[in-house]
Amino acid sequence: MNKTVILLLFLVSIQLFSQEKYLTKEGYISFFSHSLVEDIKADNYQVLSVIDTETGEIGVQLLMRSFMFKKALMQEHFNESYIESYKYPKATLKGFIVNFNGLDAQNTTVEIKGLLTIHGVEKEMSAMAKIEVLKNRINLSGTFKVEVADFNINIPTIVRNNIAKTIKVTFDLQHKPYK
Amino acid sequence: MLKLYNKPFIDIKNSRPEIEVTVENILFEFKSNEKLATEKYVDKLILVKGKIAAISISKGHSIITLKDKNGISSVICQMLAEDNLNALKLEKGDEILIKGVCTGYLLDIMMVRCVLINNNFKDE
Repeated sequence: MNKTVILLLFLVSIQLFSQEKYLTKEGYISFFSHSLVEDIKADNYQVLSVIDTETGEIGVQLLMRSFMFKKALMQEHFNESYIESYKYPKATLKGFIVNFNGLDAQNTTVEIKGLLTIHGVEKEMSAMAKIEVLKNRINLSGTFKVEVADFNINIPTIVRNNIAKTIKVTFDLQHKPYK
Repeated sequence: MLKLYNKPFIDIKNSRPEIEVTVENILFEFKSNEKLATEKYVDKLILVKGKIAAISISKGHSIITLKDKNGISSVICQMLAEDNLNALKLEKGDEILIKGVCTGYLLDIMMVRCVLINNNFKDE
């Protein structure tokens, strides 16, 4: 079975079978590539993220085409040539927040571990995140690095100097209780 | 070359939508066959008609959520900044037309670069 289908089932089952879910459909994830030639940044304001507060599991899904670039041509190249959005429309993270139920402060740093899937390639990842657990809200924010080469993304030689080998990803996910 | 590099985004306001559809129908199509619906709608400029379930603002973008009658899934429309103020004039329950680019389906259908169609406004 296709991985996105599995994740979707996971997300849906989370919603059907438990009360202790926190969710956002308006999460923010951006990525940034710095090179001597140019800086490239893209923002996605439509990230779906679900936290199961019983287990500390987290599921994140986003659409590649929801990344907004400053230049139309960059967006076109990203979707059509590099990420191949028509073939791999989504990126997903299936993971957990380490020691979620042992958190001893409202405001602290946690580690998120899981499997990140981009461009159809699955890869283990880990990221540190700032977590804020408030009444009716769980905020997760932070940054992590992604190696372009890990995800079998083919950047043509002619623009290789325009795109960093390591991409910085920034996330800000503000979850609310799922009713 | 520089002209190509600086090529602008499609002018949503002045472009004709490729497909016109109701919230009910597009949700039905994505739920029954996501692959087919993706081929039909994704990366296309479409016009969607539906009732507003929510209006919110996130990081300077207004977001209008259109729901079908069953109310589980929705079409989430990220508005272009130029329509932020107009979005705030609308109310929950209003039936509106939104034009924008469909980016796909998670638990909901996602649209970006959306604009309102003028006849949304009763007082105009």
